[in-house]
Amino acid sequence: MTKPILIVGGGPAGLSAAHMLAQLGQKTVLVEKLPHLGGAPIVSGYAKLVPSGEWAKDAIGGMIDRVEKNKLVDVRLNTTVKDFKGEPGKFVATLSDGKKVEAASAVLCTGFTHFDAINKPEWGFGTFPDVVTTAQVEQMISSGKGVRRPSDGNKPQRVAILLCVGSRDRQIGREWCSKICCSVSANLAMEIREELPDCHVYIYYMDIRTFGLLETKYYWRSQEEFKVKYIKARIAEVTAQGDKLLVKGEDTLVKRPITIPFDMVVQAIGMDPNVDNMLLSAVFDVKLEPHGYIGKANSYGTQGATSRPGVFVAGSATGPETIDDSIAQANAAALAAYTAAQGVTLKAAE
Amino acid sequence: MAIHEKSLIRPEDIKSQENLVIDGIDVSGHWSTFISARNITDYNEKMQDEIAALPGGENIHRCWQCGSCTNACTVNALEPRFNPRYWIYLIRMGLESELLRDKDIIWQCVSCNKCTNICPRDVVPEGIMKATAKWLELKGHTEVNPSTHFDEAFMEQISATGRIEEGKTMRMLFKRTGRSLFQDWLIEMVKRIAVKMPMHYVFGMGIEQIIPPRVSGWRKQLGPALDEYVHESEKKQRQALGLDQLISMAQAEVRPAHHKAAE
Repeated sequence: MTKPILIVGGGPAGLSAAHMLAQLGQKTVLVEKLPHLGGAPIVSGYAKLVPSGEWAKDAIGGMIDRVEKNKLVDVRLNTTVKDFKGEPGKFVATLSDGKKVEAASAVLCTGFTHFDAINKPEWGFGTFPDVVTTAQVEQMISSGKGVRRPSDGNKPQRVAILLCVGSRDRQIGREWCSKICCSVSANLAMEIREELPDCHVYIYYMDIRTFGLLETKYYWRSQEEFKVKYIKARIAEVTAQGDKLLVKGEDTLVKRPITIPFDMVVQAIGMDPNVDNMLLSAVFDVKLEPHGYIGKANSYGTQGATSRPGVFVAGSATGPETIDDSIAQANAAALAAYTAAQGVTLKAAE
Repeated sequence: MAIHEKSLIRPEDIKSQENLVIDGIDVSGHWSTFISARNITDYNEKMQDEIAALPGGENIHRCWQCGSCTNACTVNALEPRFNPRYWIYLIRMGLESELLRDKDIIWQCVSCNKCTNICPRDVVPEGIMKATAKWLELKGHTEVNPSTHFDEAFMEQISATGRIEEGKTMRMLFKRTGRSLFQDWLIEMVKRIAVKMPMHYVFGMGIEQIIPPRVSGWRKQLGPALDEYVHESEKKQRQALGLDQLISMAQAEVRPAHHKAAE
């Protein structure tokens, strides 16, 4: 029996990697900095997941359950990795509680951090109570309380969703597309229309990137079945007038400035690199890619390889990623970590 | 200062006072020129539903503004202001005043349906052009256009007899649109036809002018059923556009005046 494999992070990627390795009969140590497993979908209280439509607490809850019940997975909550020394087959990790763990290889599933909308002050988050984020709307829905204006608890009559908040914006050093916000926003728009049929929902976009098969289920369906309206405009600023929010920008398709009152403004916040990535980079001696995510080697030789042999990476630690793809990457990286632990080096066909 | 790109600004948005003195300084003429703002301050959310309630307009909410319809458009090639993509957007967002600027062009759609064939989302732009022209008429923004006159003349005959007699349709259309039957081109056409046409055809046409063709038993069942359907459809359309409400409001305003006169 080889030494255990270290998995850092207990979100969808970490949970799948642990499960995959357990199925192979491989012991793992799963380190999670928070007091519970589940990652962003659980911690941020997501409602129905894209694209399955299943409630996050059911879907991810099932993944947590099977890991917690598995004897081959040693879960360490409230714990971080302070030091990681050694080489493939004989790594030693020092944890925040002072304990040392031997590991044959490691998989980093450290995820992302939601963009903090306060960094775009012109859009009023943090200034006006009825300017909220997509994560907050997810919580309104998942808590069962419904979509209400935080200021007075009333049902909104008109909601504006602003896309690309913290994405594709050189002003704040974030050039990447966060990939899932378009689909998530269309999903939320439909949820709002379903709960509040009298509420009109407008989505202000630069481009709509409901990629692949999500096009039908989110972009088309939101327009065709739920009459969600899409306006091509990047909003200049959000101000307030009485209890209304004033959204200013340019409707680019008619070349005209707009100043429209709304009851609620929802900001589709993007995915930042995990705030701890500099620290993770130093502890695990892995290089970050230029945007600040954990750098990943190309996939032609092995899956999820980092700049350090024996340390692998999967999920949104490598860049904005969907839950489904994070899970697929984690399974692939788990196999790579497993073969590395067996002392097998995969070589290209000779 | 002179406005350089004046061509980009609508003439009515450029304001200047011929005689204006502010604080003792004469700023008459172009010295007082300013451009009024064209800010969109609200969306008329009813507009899309109203167009969708008219035949042909049902799929308007699908449009994602790719512009294929305008690119394919036969009329746009001749009249650049004819822009289905743009009008669909105005309707969807409820920018009514903007749409009304083009009210005298929209009916010019020739129904070639190139837009319908090219549309990636099955919006049927041709139908929307028809629905929009109808909407403009029903709302009183435009006069009844020749195409509607034709439709009415056509339907009137169908309702009465179950068939049409082309000569009569033509005469009804010319009468309704206030045109003389004695058009040079029409006289010429009749002359040429008359020379080539076999006698029994001419005879048959003459008979049909006196005894219009009809489907036997038409008014017993099919005719009334068609009338009822048309009546119901028109009623639904009026309701969707809030026209009956407008009429009853107008009547409510008139009535008290009558009462006062009676007193």
